[in-house]
Amino acid sequence: MAHHPTEFKVEHFTFDDKLRKTLITLIVVGLVIAGLGVFMAWKGENAGHDSHGEHHSSVVEQNIPSALTSNETESKAEVAGETEKLQGEQTTDSATVQATETHVAEANTHSAHAEGHEGGHHGPIWLKRFWANILLNNFYFIGIAIFGVFFVAVQYVANAGWAVSLKRVPESFGSFLPVGFVLMLLLIPGMHHIYHWMAEGVSEVGHPNYDKIIAGKSGYLNMPFFLIRLALIFGIWILFYTIMRKLSLKEDEEGGTKNYYKSIRTSAIFIICFAFTLMMAAWDWLMSIDVHWFSTIYWVYTFAGLFVSGFVATVFFLIFLQGRGLMQHVNENHFHDLGKFIFGFSIFWTYIWVSQFLLIWYANIPEETLYYVPRFLGHYKVLFFVNLFINFLFPFLYLMTRNAKRASNSLSTIVLVLAFGHWLDLYLMIMPGVVGENNGFLMEIGFFLAYLGIFGLVVFKALSKAPLVPKNHPMLDESLHHHI
Amino acid sequence: MSKNFLLGVYDDEQPVLKAVNELRIKGIRVYDVYSPFAIHGMDDAMGIKRTRLTVAAFIYGVIGCTLALSMMIYMNIFDWPINIGGKPAFMGPDFIPVTFELTVLITALGMVGTFLYVSRLAPGIEGNLIDPRVTNDRFIIAVEIKNEEIRRKTEDILKSYGSLEIRERVTEK
Amino acid sequence: MIQESAVRPPLVLGDKTYSQMTEDIMKPLETKPNLLWFGAFSIAALVMTMGFALIGYLFVTGTGVWGLNKTVGWAWDITNFVFWVGIGHAGTLISAVLLLFRQKWRTSINRAAEAMTIFAVMCAGIFPVIHTGRPWLAFWMLPLPNVHGSLWVNFNSPLLWDVFAISTYLTVSLVFWYIGLIPDIATVRDRAEGLRKKIYGALAFGWNGSARTWARYEVVCLILAGLSTPLVLSVHTIVSFDFATSVIPGWHTTIFPPYFVAGAIFSGFAMVHTLMILTRSIFKLEEYVTMYHIELMNIVIIITGSVVGLAYGTEFFIAWYSGVEYEQYAFLNRAFGPFAWAYWTMITCNVITPQLFWFNSIRKSAVATFIISIFVNIGMWFERFVIIVTSLHRDYLPSSWAMYSPTFVEIGIFIGTFGLFFTLFLLFAKTLPVIALHEIKTVLKTSGEKYKQAAASRVEKGSAGESPVMPEISLARKPQQETEI
Repeated sequence: MAHHPTEFKVEHFTFDDKLRKTLITLIVVGLVIAGLGVFMAWKGENAGHDSHGEHHSSVVEQNIPSALTSNETESKAEVAGETEKLQGEQTTDSATVQATETHVAEANTHSAHAEGHEGGHHGPIWLKRFWANILLNNFYFIGIAIFGVFFVAVQYVANAGWAVSLKRVPESFGSFLPVGFVLMLLLIPGMHHIYHWMAEGVSEVGHPNYDKIIAGKSGYLNMPFFLIRLALIFGIWILFYTIMRKLSLKEDEEGGTKNYYKSIRTSAIFIICFAFTLMMAAWDWLMSIDVHWFSTIYWVYTFAGLFVSGFVATVFFLIFLQGRGLMQHVNENHFHDLGKFIFGFSIFWTYIWVSQFLLIWYANIPEETLYYVPRFLGHYKVLFFVNLFINFLFPFLYLMTRNAKRASNSLSTIVLVLAFGHWLDLYLMIMPGVVGENNGFLMEIGFFLAYLGIFGLVVFKALSKAPLVPKNHPMLDESLHHHI
Repeated sequence: MSKNFLLGVYDDEQPVLKAVNELRIKGIRVYDVYSPFAIHGMDDAMGIKRTRLTVAAFIYGVIGCTLALSMMIYMNIFDWPINIGGKPAFMGPDFIPVTFELTVLITALGMVGTFLYVSRLAPGIEGNLIDPRVTNDRFIIAVEIKNEEIRRKTEDILKSYGSLEIRERVTEK
Repeated sequence: MIQESAVRPPLVLGDKTYSQMTEDIMKPLETKPNLLWFGAFSIAALVMTMGFALIGYLFVTGTGVWGLNKTVGWAWDITNFVFWVGIGHAGTLISAVLLLFRQKWRTSINRAAEAMTIFAVMCAGIFPVIHTGRPWLAFWMLPLPNVHGSLWVNFNSPLLWDVFAISTYLTVSLVFWYIGLIPDIATVRDRAEGLRKKIYGALAFGWNGSARTWARYEVVCLILAGLSTPLVLSVHTIVSFDFATSVIPGWHTTIFPPYFVAGAIFSGFAMVHTLMILTRSIFKLEEYVTMYHIELMNIVIIITGSVVGLAYGTEFFIAWYSGVEYEQYAFLNRAFGPFAWAYWTMITCNVITPQLFWFNSIRKSAVATFIISIFVNIGMWFERFVIIVTSLHRDYLPSSWAMYSPTFVEIGIFIGTFGLFFTLFLLFAKTLPVIALHEIKTVLKTSGEKYKQAAASRVEKGSAGESPVMPEISLARKPQQETEI
């Protein structure tokens, strides 16, 4: 607990060539693996095309017209028949179990393929998977980026002092936002592979693709409005990131408290804007994949997951910088607090998870259970429980002790596990609705590595551009002497 | 056997911390410190080990969780399964709320009970109050005096940090 | 010792010493109650008596004296139940969540807020019990062995979850509150004489201020805080499950759990304002519950109020987005149906008024805050009324649509619970310290006005970096230690 009056030296991070090369190698390796994954998926699909494709299309033909294009009551009855087994699985004998499974498998393919295939886009699965991957990693890293800005804003609004000395790390995550925007724009050509509502004629009465439910949503889910929202979301995020970063750097130069108070006001406005934009982002980019489905808590759930991965990324970069002899003033007390946040938000995530699942499971209404059929009963059953284990049980038990939160060694374990965990969570949010049962991991891992490399390049560059510590922040001293 | 104590009285927590630290450095065991509020860092200064109440809390939590689950499973599944619309008796997610509540309840009560027991706190107990002012604005360091040398050394240290008064107290035990 | 940042406003005003603080906070306990207190107490007790008399009337005649009908089977009393449980949540938030977040300002208000929690939960508990119709059989809600075969309670029912949630919440809140009180009761004991000393002595559990006990005490408080935090979330979550597990449009929506929790904290903070703004001026505690405290609570109100507003928006949007006509109708009916006045009262009070706190002058005015807090209290009551009654009164079958209006019995019982609430609070304020003395003493040296000024002048003299009191042992005297859950 002893410390000495601080002789504080302002540190800089230099982004050396070696690190840059490593990151570029990572990107290349990632892309190679991803390419291999794409090739395998393509090859697998073409080799087994006859049997596979036939099967899928037959399922689609049998189920879709009645379930998705006829009037509501019928479709309800249809899906109800398939999903009422949600709760009934235990008591049924083996024959029924089998029947249920077939049912589930069908329901599964139908929910997935209905949306992709039926829309006149008989695009190959590997291509869907490719675009789904781009979306998955886009959202994962954009989430971390916006978390950085949000975290800093919350620190200002809450008058929090403890994290000031490490605030440059999450702050620099925001520099990925413009890159994220570009990556989202790159997604546009492939979006119709992901979002069924973008298919031609879904909201045109009389068109073979006409879908009454989607047509009802077309006031919100239509291409121009979607793009406007996309631009708006990124516009707001990038704007606030720029302002807050600028104020922080100006404070380094000028000192005083003027910029500090300005930052507080900016942060308050940002937090309000963030709530609205995140909500839209969650609905647009993720929830509209399963376009028939809806859940009011969905954006809170997205937020909770993003928060954990953001803290995990913060700890990861801190440990990395410390490994280079920097940021030594961040001690076990700061890690303890970050650990508590990871612990707390893992539980919060679980709470939101349970709230959504339990309510849908309990009410057992077919419009809602259709989301959980492939995940809880179908093809993704194992991953569904793995997800809960990794993101709840593991951090809950692992981080319970004081020491686990204080040592960077033990925190690095949790960082690795949870970084994967919340990526997997997004995987489960996206994949079932896009690729149905044709999911995999090779392409996914490749893209993840490539994105990690890009994210590293951008963030390290931003880190190297400013001192690692906001030296004139009025609460810096509190943070440097943080002791709990 | 009677015990002899030397009490140093202060009106601020800073010198108390320093005095306690100094006493420990000089190898004199501080019997206890009495204060109107929790002094941050005092446990380190006195060398008090971290309490294991956290472990106790965890154990109570496990007990509570197990009790809750076994109660519900016994009552609603084995002893008297209720047929609700033909649904199975074991409806896992339904047990989450009560399991959570009972875990919290038993952890809280168990841990507080343990705390009161190990701290010798109970309704109506005559506490061994060393001075009524310690619940107001006085801080008292108590050192057990085993011999003259300790007495002399302690007195010096207590004085050097500006004690308001130094008293002796003999307890019969 | 590390001084806190100069940009932080002081939490204790004036030039205080530890003994002065004891005097100030003990004064209401040690002086005879004045006329104002007696007046308030008599009114509160009278109202409470009226409430209990009406409950007696209800028991004798049956729930037919209520305005419920076949369609609207839940209305007034469940609204009150949710309202009171919600009020309680701010107390736990202040005592537990803010403790985990090391917010020093909580020390001035946590005691009163926790007391408020307990009284509010007591008021809440009345309603489900009287709604059972035969309250003398209320123990049937517990899983007790019985003579009707082994007919156990149904653990699949959210109403039963509520029984467990509310009773756990009340118990843990009481325990947490009492643990916090013990050192202060010891202070009362050590200043008292005669019988008073005996009573407080017994209640003080033999507290002697030993450092060894303090060390454990802090850990116990932290664990209790760590337990209370998820507990407080779970309680209103489970209350929301009473509605959300059903298949009634307007009730069954997944955002209910976090939305109810935010609403509860929102309404609870409003009630803390209502109580504390009065208490601080009656007991002359303005130096401890400062305008800065009020401002911070106003910020919590803006945040939770905005979350609630966002949830209203989400519900409305998703109702449209879902394409489910029943869902859509439920929300249109709320906003434009026969209960539209209730809906727009709710929107005005909950969404619009708290946004006034964005203005500096309103946020920093005790009078304005008090007025807005009353608005929020009203708005949050209406929120529950809107959710419960408007969702029920027009169900799937238009031939059974009905309206609901309360009878004098329902209104009287609700007003009666306010009598109970204020009676208990007034008794508490006269018998126990309304500010957590031992906790607020820990922030004096870092956040007291005089000490902050002294630190600032030291900075000017240029000895800033060096710790003025003690160079070797750092004492960043945050009120609490780490969380250990």
